[in-house]
Amino acid sequence: MTSAPDFDLLAAEYVLGTLEGADLDRAIALEASDPDFRRSVGEWQSRLQPLADAVPPETVPSALWQKIELRLGERAAAAAKPASPSFLQRIFAPEASSPVLSRRAALAFSVAAAAGGFGIARWLGGAEVPTQIAVLTTDAGAPSAIVSVYASGFVELIPLQGIAVPDGRIIEVWTLQSRTQGPVSIGRMDKARRLRLDLRQLQRPETGHLFELTLEPPGGSPTGKPTGPILMKGLVQTGV
Amino acid sequence: MTIDEAIQRCAAGDRAGLRHIYEQEAGRMLGVARRIVAKSALAEDVVQDAFLQIWRGAAQFDPARGQGRGWIYTILRNRALNVLRSESRADPLDEASLAELPSPDESADVLVERLEQSSALKRCLGTLDAMRRKMVVMAFSNGLTHGEIAAHMKLPLGTVKSHIRRALQALKECLS
Repeated sequence: MTSAPDFDLLAAEYVLGTLEGADLDRAIALEASDPDFRRSVGEWQSRLQPLADAVPPETVPSALWQKIELRLGERAAAAAKPASPSFLQRIFAPEASSPVLSRRAALAFSVAAAAGGFGIARWLGGAEVPTQIAVLTTDAGAPSAIVSVYASGFVELIPLQGIAVPDGRIIEVWTLQSRTQGPVSIGRMDKARRLRLDLRQLQRPETGHLFELTLEPPGGSPTGKPTGPILMKGLVQTGV
Repeated sequence: MTIDEAIQRCAAGDRAGLRHIYEQEAGRMLGVARRIVAKSALAEDVVQDAFLQIWRGAAQFDPARGQGRGWIYTILRNRALNVLRSESRADPLDEASLAELPSPDESADVLVERLEQSSALKRCLGTLDAMRRKMVVMAFSNGLTHGEIAAHMKLPLGTVKSHIRRALQALKECLS
């Protein structure tokens, strides 16, 4: 365990911006996982903020806001594009440009899939029928992806919305089947897309097994265990 | 509308919140970003990226953990540091590219001068010795890493690290 002063110093150096390499990775991981560390970071942000406030404001080019709005519009359009466009577009096509309505559409879609949705999953996945499903949600509870489990030992990950991936980071997919084994990496991708994953080397996914997505450095987590912030997670559920 | 309220509006999907933050802070954000990435065009990109991240991450902002402005400037500085370290300076110890930056020593002194007279941080920075004060301010405002400060001040890396740690500890005690 890290002693308290070290821990607080790491938070201080993180806010100061001097960390590099393994120390920086550790701070990012702690920020994602440790409420005490987040509190330390928040305190240091407030302590050092006067240094940012002392910087004189510069003249902002008038086009900057338009550029931001343009990119917000693109993001909304990208988020409205689900993993299976044909499905949602057919049903929600008139509202596809409205982020609010498209969020509702994604929600309705994933709730339907979770509630009784082997029919929908079968409909999406072709002939192979999933035996179980996990709905992955963000920290805020937004349904963000579905994992369909197949008897063949494969699973299919279907994102329900775009995922913001910072430069120099990738998305890594994990499953947790037992506490003793710990999380196991099962796939990586550079952006949200449909993934078919081979889990035949692992135990067959069953009720209560966890799937989660984290942000990691290119090439995947250097430790073999999740280090980055958790993007979404969910448990395999028993169908009705 | 306070900045904290504006962030909460962003979380609710209200663009007026983001526009408010832009009107209040974009100029200063541009200044903070440019001190780190040096080039104006890059600084504008950083500010754009930061506004997108603010919009997207607003729901994660927790006012109990600190002020909204601290949160916003942390997003901005992290983005600027990422750009600085991945794009504009392949070799962080390159003397030539360091020389192109506005003199960090000078800008560090000016920045401390500009701190609000009443600010506790100004008083507490004043209790540090000049070299340590300069290291902390340069790291924060110019985005220099331990290694870059060591190269700039011609000191061993370990010495710089321990100076900065002691300075941070002293600041924390002074500010508490």
